[in-house]
This record gives sequence, structure tokens and C-alpha cells, in this order.
Amino acid sequence: MRSLLPYALIFVAALLLPLFANDYWAVIGARAAVYWVLVAGLNLVVGYGGQLAIGWVALLTLGSYTASILVARFNLDPFVAYAAGGVVGALAGVVVGLPALRLRTFYFAMTTLGFATIVTQVALAWQSVTGGGIGLPGPLLAAPFDSAWGFYLLCLGFAAIVTWMTANVAASRYGRSLVAIRDAEVAAEATGISKARLLVIVFLFSGFTAGVAGGLFATLQSYITPEAFSFDLSVTFFIAILVGGRGSILGPLIGNIVLTLLPEVAAPLVAWSTFLYAVLLLAIVLLMPGGIAAVLDFSNRKPLASDRSIVPAPERVRALFDHGPVRDNIVLSKVVLAFGGVRAIDGLDMTIRAGEVHGLIGPNGSGKTTTLNVISGYYTPQEGEAFLGTRVLPHGVPQARSALGIARTFQTPRVIGEASVLQNVMIGATIDGRASFMEAALTLPRHRSDERRLTARAMAALEVVGLAPLAAVRADRLQHSELRFVEIARALTGRPAFLLLDEPAAGLSTEEIQRLGILIKAVAEAGTGVLLVEHHADLIFDICDHVTVLNLGRELAAGTPADIRAHKEVVSAYLGA
Amino acid sequence: MSPKGSTLTRRTLVRASAAALALPAIARHGLAAEPIRIGWLATFTGPLSSPTIGFDRGVKWAVEQINDKGGVDGRLLEVISRDTQGDPTKAVNATQDVISRQKVHAIFGPVNSGELLATTPIMARAKVPSLVAGVVNSLIDPVKFPNAFRVTPSNHQWDGAVLNYCQNILKVKKVAITADATGYGTSAHDDSVANFKAAGLEVVYDAVIDPAQPDITPDMLRSKNAGAEVMVSWTVSSGMAARMMNARAALNWDVPIVGHPALGTGEIGKLVNKPEYWDKVYQVGYRSCSYGPDGKLPKASQEFVDSVRGKFPLQDTSLWWIASGVDAMRLIAEAVAKTGSSDSDKIIGYWNTLQMWPGLYGHYSFSPTEHNGFLGSDVVMSKANTAREGAFDLAPGYV
Amino acid sequence: MLAAILAAGLAVGATYALIGITYNIMFSASRVMSFTAGQLGMLGGVLGSLFISRLGVPILPGMVLALAGCALIGLVTEIVAVRPVLKALDQHLYVLSTLGFALMIQTFTAIEWSTEPQPFPRLIGIGEGGPWDEKFWLPVVACIATIIGLELLYRRTLVGRAFLAIAEDNFAARALGLPERNLRMASFALAGAVGGLAGFAGGELLLAFFANGATLNFLGFVPVALGGLGNNRGAVIGGLALGVFQQAANFLMGGVFAGVAVFAVFIIVLLVAPQGLFGSPPARRV
Repeated sequence: MRSLLPYALIFVAALLLPLFANDYWAVIGARAAVYWVLVAGLNLVVGYGGQLAIGWVALLTLGSYTASILVARFNLDPFVAYAAGGVVGALAGVVVGLPALRLRTFYFAMTTLGFATIVTQVALAWQSVTGGGIGLPGPLLAAPFDSAWGFYLLCLGFAAIVTWMTANVAASRYGRSLVAIRDAEVAAEATGISKARLLVIVFLFSGFTAGVAGGLFATLQSYITPEAFSFDLSVTFFIAILVGGRGSILGPLIGNIVLTLLPEVAAPLVAWSTFLYAVLLLAIVLLMPGGIAAVLDFSNRKPLASDRSIVPAPERVRALFDHGPVRDNIVLSKVVLAFGGVRAIDGLDMTIRAGEVHGLIGPNGSGKTTTLNVISGYYTPQEGEAFLGTRVLPHGVPQARSALGIARTFQTPRVIGEASVLQNVMIGATIDGRASFMEAALTLPRHRSDERRLTARAMAALEVVGLAPLAAVRADRLQHSELRFVEIARALTGRPAFLLLDEPAAGLSTEEIQRLGILIKAVAEAGTGVLLVEHHADLIFDICDHVTVLNLGRELAAGTPADIRAHKEVVSAYLGA
Repeated sequence: MSPKGSTLTRRTLVRASAAALALPAIARHGLAAEPIRIGWLATFTGPLSSPTIGFDRGVKWAVEQINDKGGVDGRLLEVISRDTQGDPTKAVNATQDVISRQKVHAIFGPVNSGELLATTPIMARAKVPSLVAGVVNSLIDPVKFPNAFRVTPSNHQWDGAVLNYCQNILKVKKVAITADATGYGTSAHDDSVANFKAAGLEVVYDAVIDPAQPDITPDMLRSKNAGAEVMVSWTVSSGMAARMMNARAALNWDVPIVGHPALGTGEIGKLVNKPEYWDKVYQVGYRSCSYGPDGKLPKASQEFVDSVRGKFPLQDTSLWWIASGVDAMRLIAEAVAKTGSSDSDKIIGYWNTLQMWPGLYGHYSFSPTEHNGFLGSDVVMSKANTAREGAFDLAPGYV
Repeated sequence: MLAAILAAGLAVGATYALIGITYNIMFSASRVMSFTAGQLGMLGGVLGSLFISRLGVPILPGMVLALAGCALIGLVTEIVAVRPVLKALDQHLYVLSTLGFALMIQTFTAIEWSTEPQPFPRLIGIGEGGPWDEKFWLPVVACIATIIGLELLYRRTLVGRAFLAIAEDNFAARALGLPERNLRMASFALAGAVGGLAGFAGGELLLAFFANGATLNFLGFVPVALGGLGNNRGAVIGGLALGVFQQAANFLMGGVFAGVAVFAVFIIVLLVAPQGLFGSPPARRV
């Protein structure tokens, strides 16, 4: 949603509301704005990050009570109290959200529900502080915010700020990274995205907005009791995001407004409102998983040319990067990897030299992909080590490889279907961004220069693989072969010193395989060391400088392609006469 | 039940217009006089909707009666109801709706404490006269909320009636006090424990219990072992109340259970294992809605019951809810009639002058410094399992 | 005192364990965790009360009808909320579709049945309210019967072994020609019946109350979390332990704090042992 027009229209309509509506609409409008302050933050967690935090209302509760207690018992200024509520929300957001790193989706959803219940129960029990069942008054604001419209405009201001900030984050490398861990977590790790660090930042931010929303909510309600923070409310926030569509700001914004207005407009439905929300949720999931955002996504309805072909431009590799001569090699030394009793790799020595293409072939189950996974850090060897130069490659930390200049592709393309090709490719250079999360949220200069730089590099990579015309297209509209090249472009964007390719030719036409070969050679000539795991013998013998043949986890043969072609055991075990 | 925007039937309007046309004085005006709009906010659907349904019957009946006689000075009463579903956020929206969009002259409700706490400041800011039907003590403050008048007892009065019954009629020294783990329950529990102790009684056991707890035996056993002579219960959950009575019987423990009006809800009759388990249970009730030792209701109540029998059900509800609804409408109508205006300060000013106003439900007295108007001695204890047409027998020991 | 707490604890614990088994059966058949497990328990009680108390059906046919009704709901869950989202399991849409369906069940029941707990009929008439009352041992008996029944089903019958096959390796089972879709539907119907049994056997204790759905959803999930996904024996141990812990906490700390204690313990245990105390680590992802 690049266009500012829809946002401008909504904002202007909201500003004009006081001119022709009565106080009732001020309350409804303020409510929609307050909820949006929470939902916008939650959108980053749920819609972008894919973390199903159903019990997020816990943070609204905490923010409400913090702000109210500070004003009622300590006479703090309400705005300071709101900020304090935000801080408490931020810290609680991390506590509520952190289990996401350890637990599978459903379990995490349940723990957030558990947190929501705990917070409400504590509010009920801790009478001396929270007033228990009777609750306490919300923060009262001074003029001009003590009138219905004054408060409405204040909330509108908060809503506008939070819309702007989350839209900025969504369009930054943080937004792209969130979507990456949502839809392609394994690939995200390979490009250096640390799920833990990313989620902590996002939980802090979203928790803060939820806490501030809590303070505003307490003022809107004039008085808060534990029963105001119901499970229904939590579900409503959640549904607003789903109805709006994942990976969108505008969709959930519209969704939130609709869901706030719905019970007011359709009053006979009040008794059935929760039932209808549930039907809506089910319907959206089954019929329109993309939500309102998918409906509004006009640009991706334009038909693509059906006679497209992929024409890489290998000569452009040097423009993207040129590593120059002699650099460190990747060396595997006596690596053993066992799954239970099965030795997938049984004492392997291998060297991938910079600037050379190293082929890795062998029958199915011989350990090729497993070797690649050891190098890229997903598996930890039981014995032996993988080195980059003289440094041991750290165990079990695949997200550290990108910083060491190691990039890879996957046996089945792991691409984010709902993001554009360009966004997918930009992920490859995520770790080269310099701007912090807040700089991105506020579009400060360092963020803008990041985006310019990363966009330029990603476009250059797309030119190299020949997919530049498709840059703005949603990735799930591409053909399989195009997706393979997208993965390569993603890897190249990071200007890797080593490129690990896992069966990149699978599913490609003969023409495409030829072009792929030329491209890989050009990459190697620019100084990158390439490990090519493949079944297509022709491709291997065409472009490889060295070949290692695996069988049952051990090296069967190693040498130049000519050596391998003639090797008797290789021929009998694998190649055939 | 679809109460949104429910207005009067065309039939009543036609009748009233015909009556108006028959009077030349009013016929001279040409336009119909502006109706007296009353906002009625309550929990029509959702948990704890039974009281609302009862109140609503009284509201509708009273309004029909008044309008059939031509309304107040030719102005008909128009009730605008909103379902708040027990949700404070919906209650806030609804209150602002009836004040700013519907422009009501007075408000009755909400009935639920959590909603009332949120809506009272809004009504106060708009200076709308409001009749409060909830029991939370802090709702009434003539300084902060000069527009709010309580027309039911406060929780303090309820507790006082229970305390009085235990201390002066049952004449016990040791009590156990329990409540459920809800907003109302936790605060009622704390207030009750404090009051009983201050009165010199010994609270040998007290607990806040999860209403979904499937078995209350341990708490009953503890109370019994501590020597409690009465179980005081503030729970609103019929399930929990029934479990208490079943446990009491299983322990062969013959003590009275005394407390919240919910102890008398019809559902409990179906939930206890044997009907006699519901004996010796006494809940807060009202003289106006109690059968005396002679088996009769007070005169005004009996007349009311006789006149409405058949028009709407009485067996499935409590008479005092209906009576309260009737009184609320009459208080509003009378204020407009006596002051000749529906301006808020006139209505409020009139209510502030009431002394022992004889309502169907109780007697109300207000002054500029006292807005808890319900006469305390009208609150009594009733026998829980004696409901007939919504009214109960007085508990034993009253004169 | 101790007897009362133990009796109540084991009884509710057995109910939670049965809901845990419901989760497990659904998961084995589809790799999907469904939010409807608790609602099935609630429906077992509500339908039992509806057929036997309100409509006057005799006890045994009433039970059959109630369980059949729940099996039907389980089946509908599969068709409406699970099958359509199986192609995109990694998107976790099943969390939302089953949540939506569960909410629909819950709110519909609240509006059409009652928002207050309704009485559940006395099934046999044994025990006079003490710790040996039938309301305490009926759920435990139901739990034991279910475990034995499932063991027999999985080990001795062809259908049962087919269930195990599709749970173990979906592709291989399909390649062998097993009718995967029908088996999955049957699994969900079975899960529905087990959930219904939980609510029916626990009906005298929990009453026919719409809000039981949400409570059972969570408290029935804890045994799964503790015992490990797919591990029915772990679910039983976890469920019984949870039941006793909850009743003891209720008694020692009071209603409000007991709730906090249960949730807190749940979250802590999960963080320490994400696979459960008896579970196994997840498979490879690359």
C-alpha cells in the first residue's frame, strides 16, 4: 500500500467528523482510535510476524491500571501516566511474547490466553492497589481534552502517529524480516535474521502502544473494572487484523473501524455480535485469507505475460560485487553427523575454494544436502569441524552465516509468497542495514539511505538473474523456475563470499539450466566460492572446477570433472555407463 | 427480546391522540407535545439478564399505564432501551448514544455494577437525571454526581439486613462468610467481613471461591469445623449456591444459609439434589414483596399483582425487579408533572425534595446531601424456596 | 477434607485428561490442534442435560444421543474448519478457523441453551454426596474405559491401526492406499465422542454450562502440554495431576489465587520443557 491516498482520505474524514456529528460519534470515534493504537502495534506481531498472540488484551489491562493507579493514587500528570503505562506494556509485551521463541504456534496462543487471565485475576485480587472488583477511576484530562471532541482529537492524533510509525516499520527491513520469519523462517535464518532479537524489539514496541492505548482506554471509560477487559475484546482485536489482511496496514485499519462500528450500527445484532464475529473469522480464513488487503491489492491483478523467459545477465555480476583474489576457503575436516544410529555423514573432508565452483554429487541419501546443512549451520556435527579459513564455523547458529559471507539456496524454494519479488530479494542484504528500529519507524535519514542502498543492490541482483521486470510482482504468482532464480538473486544481494546451491537446476528447462551454468561461472569468476549440490551431471561436468562424489556419507571420489567421469566406482555406483 | 429503540405501539399513540383531540384546549396547539424520553440501559441479553427482564416488565407496564391516561400534561413517555450486555464498553457507548443522539430527559440503569461505574461520570458531565438501580456503595456521591439518585438499596443496606438478621433474630455469635471470585463478589466479601467484625460478631471462616469450582465441600467442612453457626453467602452464581446447599446436606450440617438475593432464584430449585436442601435458606428481600405471617402481600403490592396477573409472567421472575421498574418510571413522570418541565435541573430539584415517597417497591427519601434514598427498614430477609408470583414468604422471626 | 479434595481433584482431572485425549486424537489425524476440544466437552454436558432432563429420554439412549451429537460436531469441525486449511499448515490458519468455529459453538449455546448453569441428571444414583458419590468416580471410570478402549482400537483392530498409520506417516499411508480423508473424518468423529464423554461423565460435577467450553479448552490443553503432544498416557497423568493441584490450590489459596497459580505453573512448565514432561523433541525442519 504505497499510495498515501487512502490514509489521507480516512484522516481527513476523521478530522471533519466534529463538524457534522454529535458527542455520541465522538465517543465511538475515540474508541476506534484508541483500539487502533493497540491494533496497529499488534498488527506487527500478528499480521507481519505471524505470532498468534490472542491474549494481547493483557497489555491493555496493564496499561489501563498503571495509568489509572498513577493518577488516582500518586497524582501524576495523565500524559506521564500514559507513557508509564506504555513502558509497563512494553516490558509485559516482552514477557508475554517471549514464549513464542520456544513454543509452537498453538501452545504460544494458549500461553497468551493464560497471561490475559492471570492479569485480570491479579487485578481482581490486589484490592489495595487496583481497587479489586470495584476498580478505580481512569485518568482525567484537563482542557481542551476534557470535552468529548477534544479527547477524540487527541486519540486521533495518537492513532495517526502510530499509523505512520507502523507503516514505516512495515516498509523497512524490520517489516520485511518479520514477514520472513512468518513465512520462510528457515530462509530468514540463512540471511542472518535473528528471530529472537527481532521479536523482542517488536514486542517492546507493540507492548508500548498497547500500554498507551490502555491509558487512553481508561480515560475513555472514566472508570475501569476487571470485567471491561474481556476475552471478547481480545478476540475483536485479533479479528480486525485477520479481516484486514496480513502484511497490510490499511487493511487492519479499515477492519478495526468496521468492527468498532458494527455493533453500533447493527443494534439488533448486539446479542449475536460475538457469534457473528466468529462467523466472520471463519469465513475470512476459509474464503478470503488475504482479507480486505487482498481485495484492495489491485496491482497484483494485472495479468503477467505468459511467454516470459529468464535471461540472466552474467556480465552484471561484477557490478554487484567483485571480491578480488585470494581469500579464505571453507574446509570440512573429518565431519561426522549422525541421526540416532544412522551416520548421514561419515568422516568427510572437503575444501571449497574461493573463486571456484565445487560440485557435490552422489545418489539419493548420500548426505549431500546434509553436508550443505552442516556448512550453513542447521546441523551440528558430532565429530569434526567446518572451518572458514582458520575459524571454526559456530555450531547451531545458522543466522551467523550471513555475516560471515555465506549464503545459500534451498532444495525447495523458500520464498515469501505474499511479498513482492523485490522485497524477497532485499531480505538477502538485511544485515547490511544500519538503521535501528526506531530510526526506521520515524524514517530518519539513516533508514532512508538504508532503503535506497538495499533497493539498488536488490535491483542489481535481479538484473543479474534476469528477473528485474518482475520486481513488483507478488512472489506466489511466479513459476517454479523463476522462484529458483529469485532465491539466487536473494543470495547474491548479500554479496556472498561463498554461495551454497542446493539442487538449483531441479525443475528447470534445458535452456534455463544452460543459462544457470553461465551465471554460476560468472559468480565464481567474481571471487565467490560456489558449492553446487546437483543431480544434473551435465551441468556439474560443464562448470565445476572440482567435484566430490558422496556415497553413504563418505567421499567416494574427488577431483576434476575429467577424473570423476573416468572413475570406475563412481560410474558403477552412480553415473552408469 | 429486541429492545433497541422500542417505542410505544401505534395503538397507544392513536388512543392518546384521540384523547388529546377531545380536549379543545390541547387541540388549539396543533402539534403533538414533545414526548418525555427516558433512556433505559441494561443487560437484556447475556449472563445475569434475569433482573433486567424483570425490571423491563415493570418499566413497560408503568409507561403504558401513564400513557393510557394521556401521559404527563399531554406529553407521552417514550422509553429508548439499549442492551449493554454486561459490557462496560458497550454501556459507555450506549449512554453517550441516549444522551447525545436520542437526547433523553432522564436515564434508568444500567443495572450491573461494572457498567454503572463507567457510565455514572458520563451522565454527571451531561447533567442528565439518573435513577441508579445498582448496589455498589461508591456510585452515589451528591457532590460529584448531583444528578444520580439511588432507587434500590445500597450493598451496605443489604449487608446491614443480613447482619441484623444474624445478630438480632438468629442471635448467633459465629459466622462464616463466602462470596464468588467476581468483581462484585470480592468487594461484597470484604465489606461484609469488615461490617460483621465491627458489629462484634466472630467471622470464624471467610473465603472467595471460584464459582466454577465443582465441589464446595472443603470450604463447608472448614466452616463447620470452625464452629460457624450461619453461612453467609454473597455469590450471584446459582451453581455455586446449589453446590453449597448440597454440601451442607451431605455433611448433615443444619445451619441457615443467609445472604444475596440470588439465593432465591428459581434455577437453584432445579440444581439442588433434593428439594428440602433448599430449606433454611434466607435471602435479602423486601417488605413490599413479601408475604407476611398472614400470607398476604402489603395492600399496594397485592393490588398491583392482581391488576397485572395474566398480562405478563410473574412466576419466573422476582416481584421486586418489576416493582422497581414501575417506581422508576413513576418518579420520572411525577417529577415532570409536579414541576411542569422536563429540564434536568427541575427534575433533579424535585427529587431532592422527596420524603418517604411511597413507591411500589419501597419508600424513597432524598435531599441535596443524601442520594441513597431507599428506606433501610424496607429491606428484610425472605425464605428462599417460597417464591409465589415473584414474591417470597418473610423469613421466620420478623414481626 | 483430604478425601474431598482428592475425590474432586481426580474427578475433574479425569475430565481434563479426556479433553487432552480429544486434542491428541485430532492432532494425530491431521497435525492440527483444534480450539474446539473444550467445546465438545461442554456439549457433552449440555446435550446430556437436554436429552435426559429436558426431553425426558431415558439415561442410556440419552447418553448415546449426546455422544452421537458430539461426534457429529467433531465431524463438522473436520469438514468446515480443518480440511480447508490443511494445504497451508505452516500458516497456522487452523488456529483461527477452529477458534472461530469454537466461538460459534460457545455463543450459540449461550444464547439458545442458557447463560446460567443448568442441572445435569443424576445418572445412576449411587453415593450420597460424600467422596464416594458417583459424580466423583464417573469421570475416572470414563477415563479408564476410554484409555482401554483406545488401546484395543489401536492395537487390535484394522481401523485403529490405520489411524496409527496416517498419524505416523501420512504420505506412506496414502501410498499404501489407505483412505486418508475418510480416516481423518472418522478420527474427528471419535474425538468428538471422547470429548462428549468427558462432559457427560463430568456433567454432575460441572453442570450443563456454556462457559465450561472455554475453561475445558484451556485446562484440557494443559495435560497435552505436560504429557507431550500425541501421548495419551502422558495426558492422563498430566490431567489427574492438574486436577488435584487445582482443587488443592482452591482450598489453600482461595478462588482467585488458585486460578493464577494454575496458569502460572502451566506457563512455567511449558517454558522449561516445551515438548512436555514426557514428550519428544521436534523433527528436522530443513
